[in-house]
Amino acid sequence: MNSFVKAVGVGFISLGLWSSTALAEDSWWKTAAQPYQGATIRGISESTPASKYVEQVLGPKFTEETGIKVEFEATSWDQMYDKAIKDMEANTGIYDFVYIEQDIVYTYLARNFLVDITKSLADNAKIASPDFKPENFTTFLNYFKDPKSGNVMGVPMEAFIKPYLYRKDLFDDPAIQKAYKDATGADLKPATTHDEYAQIAKFFTEYGADKELWGTTVQASSSHPAAFYEFFESIAPTFGVYNWGIDGTTFAATEANGGQMNSAAAKKALNYWVGLLKYAPPESTSSTWDEVAGTFAAGRAAQGLVYGENAAWIATDESKSTVVGKVGVALPPVEAGVMETAESGKGYIGYYDGGAFGIPHSSKNKDASLLFLQYIGQASVQTDWALAGSRIVMNSTYEDPRIVDQDKKMNGYYTLMREDGKLFAGAPPFPFHAQVLQVVAPFIYKAIVGEIKPDDALDQAATAAEAELVKLGYRK
Amino acid sequence: MRQSNIGWLFLAPATLILLVVGFIPFIYILYVGFFDWNTNAVDPTLRWAGLQNYRSLVFDTTFLNSLARTLVFAFFVVVSELLLGYVLARALMADRLWVRQFFRTIHTLPIVVAPIAVGATWRLLCVPGFGIVPYYLKQWFGIDYNISTNAYHAFATAIIMDLWHWTPFVTLSLMAGLTALPKEPLEQAQIDGGNKLQIFWYVIVPMLKPVLLTTVFIRLMDALRSVDEIWMLTKGGPAEATRFIGLHIWINVFPKTDYGYGAAMSLLTLYVTIVLSWLLFVAMTGRKGDAQ
Repeated sequence: MNSFVKAVGVGFISLGLWSSTALAEDSWWKTAAQPYQGATIRGISESTPASKYVEQVLGPKFTEETGIKVEFEATSWDQMYDKAIKDMEANTGIYDFVYIEQDIVYTYLARNFLVDITKSLADNAKIASPDFKPENFTTFLNYFKDPKSGNVMGVPMEAFIKPYLYRKDLFDDPAIQKAYKDATGADLKPATTHDEYAQIAKFFTEYGADKELWGTTVQASSSHPAAFYEFFESIAPTFGVYNWGIDGTTFAATEANGGQMNSAAAKKALNYWVGLLKYAPPESTSSTWDEVAGTFAAGRAAQGLVYGENAAWIATDESKSTVVGKVGVALPPVEAGVMETAESGKGYIGYYDGGAFGIPHSSKNKDASLLFLQYIGQASVQTDWALAGSRIVMNSTYEDPRIVDQDKKMNGYYTLMREDGKLFAGAPPFPFHAQVLQVVAPFIYKAIVGEIKPDDALDQAATAAEAELVKLGYRK
Repeated sequence: MRQSNIGWLFLAPATLILLVVGFIPFIYILYVGFFDWNTNAVDPTLRWAGLQNYRSLVFDTTFLNSLARTLVFAFFVVVSELLLGYVLARALMADRLWVRQFFRTIHTLPIVVAPIAVGATWRLLCVPGFGIVPYYLKQWFGIDYNISTNAYHAFATAIIMDLWHWTPFVTLSLMAGLTALPKEPLEQAQIDGGNKLQIFWYVIVPMLKPVLLTTVFIRLMDALRSVDEIWMLTKGGPAEATRFIGLHIWINVFPKTDYGYGAAMSLLTLYVTIVLSWLLFVAMTGRKGDAQ
């Protein structure tokens, strides 16, 4: 009896301790969110795997813990920008948090669209979560800091590189290896140079003529900025042309004025890239990043440059991908000397993409939104998010056993990102990003459809870019 | 007098709405058109430019090509829809068509579909590599149809999509007009020995003129400002092959944030639309003031 009483007593004490601990753990968000109970915050983002996780998992969990409702709109890239920018320009306050892609952050900062997160949390310590620590993030966070103050203006929600994906099953097939050797005299292995890449693309296009298989993906939509991005952010750097070929000091684009947009290297790059179209499936000229991922997942291309946000589902999700377990990952092929330049920190070999959530100045629920951004910026939510969206924004996430396990299934994509991420770079810090893009992109489209030659396209693009920069007042 | 005041009172809400959403924005665009204004410029404020934006437009080949392309598109769709709509209206009015009601309903369905959905659906049908249209054109006729590389294919597809979407509207309008026509003049023309073509040209068309005029104006103005369907189908491509004027203005005003220049473009386009409509009105009525 005595022992029974003791056991019951210990049980109650344990239960009390457990519940008080649990309450203490839960109570910070509840307490901090108390003044905002019943509020609704609205956010908008590009529809990506990482965004969908926020919409379907993190948003509802935050609501459950805080009582603050999250309405999340995951839409197309174009619509996301259109709506978010119009909202911030007109100061309407429809959105309380917006997706800030790495390449647009400089425009948003220049136009004072964003709330200073560091300062806001310092000014209102009651809503500063002890679990939100900027130092936990990878260096990708630096893209979302105000260059003047160093303060955080956005909480990273996705980050990925654009690696070279190839069909490991095809590359490792002895019969195909022999056929390749017979056809080219070389061993079949992931390309490290552009010549090798084109040769492999040609081989697989011929090999796959009756198999709905082509040699490469090309993100060459003839009317969507995706083509501009693939060329200037993924292809041109591998030929040693950086920052879209625009000099960051003089804002010159033409070679005559010191720019690189129409340099010999840039022209070689565009000729190479447009030349790949003959080894790409027919949908390539209408492909943005989504269609490129779809093409690779459908098993229609032997290799390609594919945004890392899609790497996980392509490599592991059988409900969406036909190439699960068949995906190899490598660094993009480069011209001679480019890798060394990148390793020395003076150049880069591809695009380090991603985005953050920031709070528009026009938001009517800034404090509630600050809570949400901190909530998604906790280390504890990162692993499941990474598993769902192949995005890593915190150093600790790499160490998680589940991520290590997924990394193996993805042929070391995370390892590549961690160890060689430094070879990739985000978009140049241009506040005139959208303006120059809209001026230059049509020339790339014309080169894609063969309306003008690649050399002429870049000559005309560089001249038009400079004229636009003069009009905007950046170039004197 | 009292009744007149009450009439104005009833009109007041509609007038107020028109003033707020129509007149005031128009004045604002007129004002902005005289300035150089880009919020992403080094100087993001409005800077007086006088008529410079309009002067630049005259030499802007991209704008002029876009405008010309839009006019060609509008010409093709309006004429085709009018002809096709008339044929369908007559066919759907025929007594012998036992499934008339059923076809009338089916034929009218596209009108209720949102333009954005129409564009998305046609894109799925036509996208190279996956769409059923390029697949069967290749299988059956050996045609390499590709709306993302071939300007003619894209342009033709844009026209066909518009025909699919809006011909039913023309059909319904003409059916209403044809149904309301008095029988006596037609019978008189038959008694006088007029053949079918003569009756159509000298009796039906003149009597149908008010309906034709209204239908043509509505479709012309719609075609001149096509944006959403085209955006979903081709995004203005390949290259600039289907970048119609509405899309071109949108690109300049929103992604490029070139508000002054965009405002000037809008006004010039409005001017062209008004002039075209007036010319059409004069041509169809033979006079300047009356449609009767």
